[in-house]
Amino acid sequence: MVYAGQLFGQALVNGILVSGIYALAASGLALAFGVVKFLNLAHGEFLMLAAYFGIIVFSTYGLDPLLMTPVVFILFFILGAAYYKALVKPVLKAGELNQLLLTFGISIFLQNLALLIFGGTIRTISVPYRTHTISFWGINFGTARLFILLLSIVLLVLLYQVLQRTRVGRSIRAVSQEPEGAALVGIDSESVYLIALGIAVGFASVAGMMLSIIFQAEPMVGFNFTLKGLAVVVMAGLGNVYGVIWASLLLGITESFIGVFLPNGTGWSGAIFFLMILGGLVVRQSRVRTI
Amino acid sequence: MKKYSLKYILVAAAAILAVIFPFITGEYYRHLAILTLMYAVLALSWDFAARAELVSFAHTGFFGLGAYTSAVTFLKLDFPLYLSFTVAVLLTIVVAIALGYLTLRLSGIYFAIASLAFSEVLLVVALQLPKVTGGAMGISVPSLFGGMRVYCYGLILGILALAVVVSLYLERSHFHLAFSAMRTSPSVASVLGVNTVRYRLSSFTLSAIFSCLAGAFYVHYTTTTIPYEAFNLNIGVASMVMAVLGGLYSTVGPVLGAIVLKIIEEYMRVTIPYGYMIIYGLLLVAGILFLPKGLVGVQNKWKFLK
Repeated sequence: MVYAGQLFGQALVNGILVSGIYALAASGLALAFGVVKFLNLAHGEFLMLAAYFGIIVFSTYGLDPLLMTPVVFILFFILGAAYYKALVKPVLKAGELNQLLLTFGISIFLQNLALLIFGGTIRTISVPYRTHTISFWGINFGTARLFILLLSIVLLVLLYQVLQRTRVGRSIRAVSQEPEGAALVGIDSESVYLIALGIAVGFASVAGMMLSIIFQAEPMVGFNFTLKGLAVVVMAGLGNVYGVIWASLLLGITESFIGVFLPNGTGWSGAIFFLMILGGLVVRQSRVRTI
Repeated sequence: MKKYSLKYILVAAAAILAVIFPFITGEYYRHLAILTLMYAVLALSWDFAARAELVSFAHTGFFGLGAYTSAVTFLKLDFPLYLSFTVAVLLTIVVAIALGYLTLRLSGIYFAIASLAFSEVLLVVALQLPKVTGGAMGISVPSLFGGMRVYCYGLILGILALAVVVSLYLERSHFHLAFSAMRTSPSVASVLGVNTVRYRLSSFTLSAIFSCLAGAFYVHYTTTTIPYEAFNLNIGVASMVMAVLGGLYSTVGPVLGAIVLKIIEEYMRVTIPYGYMIIYGLLLVAGILFLPKGLVGVQNKWKFLK
């Protein structure tokens, strides 16, 4: 028998489990915004590409996507660096409008390329542990989701350690806080931008691998994650990488509760996170935070 | 003098062509021309907001709001066509002023994100209120003027003409100076006594009104729409691209951009059956990278048109 407390607990757990993937997707977006001051509307499309990559590798070689995380991260880091060199750099000084339209153009291009190559059908990876669950006190924990949450936490802690303790991390923070000052003390902002965008796209790719396991991959899935990532980034304070965790938890849990407790709630959860964006922006009065 | 006369001859020729176009062509070209004019209205309406330094995605929302308000009042409340358009415009004005006040302190990318969120909230509302909007199944209305394309063409040409008149007024009045001051430096503009709040709200509201009119026309012309189509981000972004590639902050630019891009899009749709959107995306990227000032920027190099 399902009683209210159990339902409440399940909704809470579901929200927490899903927030890891949001945090990974959003931290890349926040990093690109905080450091490069660049809003990448094509961010989610890298997620989508990685999800398809994971599916193809799994179906041809039988390799588990989660084990391939380091390889995929390195591959997409290079892709992100190339993306910066070829497309982002020319428009960095051209103004926000051009950045938005350029990245939106790339997003349309990649979506339709995926539609042409993979078709519009929804695809998933049937890893053996996909449907496996563990129960505590009548609340179900999806094993895959639990793995993924743990992996996200590990990766985010790693990112924070790199940002705080390494030379590269210090350069990234310096450029984010004061580009001119960083240039004066001899930090090459070009390579910092390159690394930041590489990490951003790399994190998106890991989130994409996770997406292919616990959700479904389809050509349009990426843009949804761009929008959710935006909601998280706005709530965290634009460019604030550290606030991403709390904002992702808030988004995941709110979505889950609305889905469970409101009639026809899953439909409304979309409106909620956009209201969060609007509210977040209006309340915060758009101050850019630095790392 | 000679330079000016050539410009006026060109404008007059274009106007005459626009008026006689539906009488000298077939149904297919009439349909294409109607859609082109609708996009020209949208592109121009987006440019109104852009002139006050607002990168807005809200016109997608106002397009859908116009479409749904006029369709619902027409169907459920039996309003005549002109009244359903009027109600849509009035509602749009109220929403635009409210949204404008709420986002008054946001600029640049922050305003862009907020306006995007606004449009997406409206999409969800349209999906989630099936009793009023028909939900995901969409809404259908009887065809406009009994499907007589010539009259439809006349209506949308009239709306575009109105938008052009408003745009020319903005270009030639105190609005023009205020807008350029605000684009150069909002703080300096307000210190010099430009009422930036008033100018910002009025340009945003004007932009919303014409997006709404385009949407209201769209739903009656195509006779049916679903939320994912009326609030489709691609329609809004396509019109932004038209304005940017045509040339920002001008009357000619957005209209020219709409005509050129719609022709290219239609040509590609017919010749490349699969994946013409891929080429469209590439074209957009190339345009931003290589034509940052738009077609009008190219035209300004031709001295005789200046």
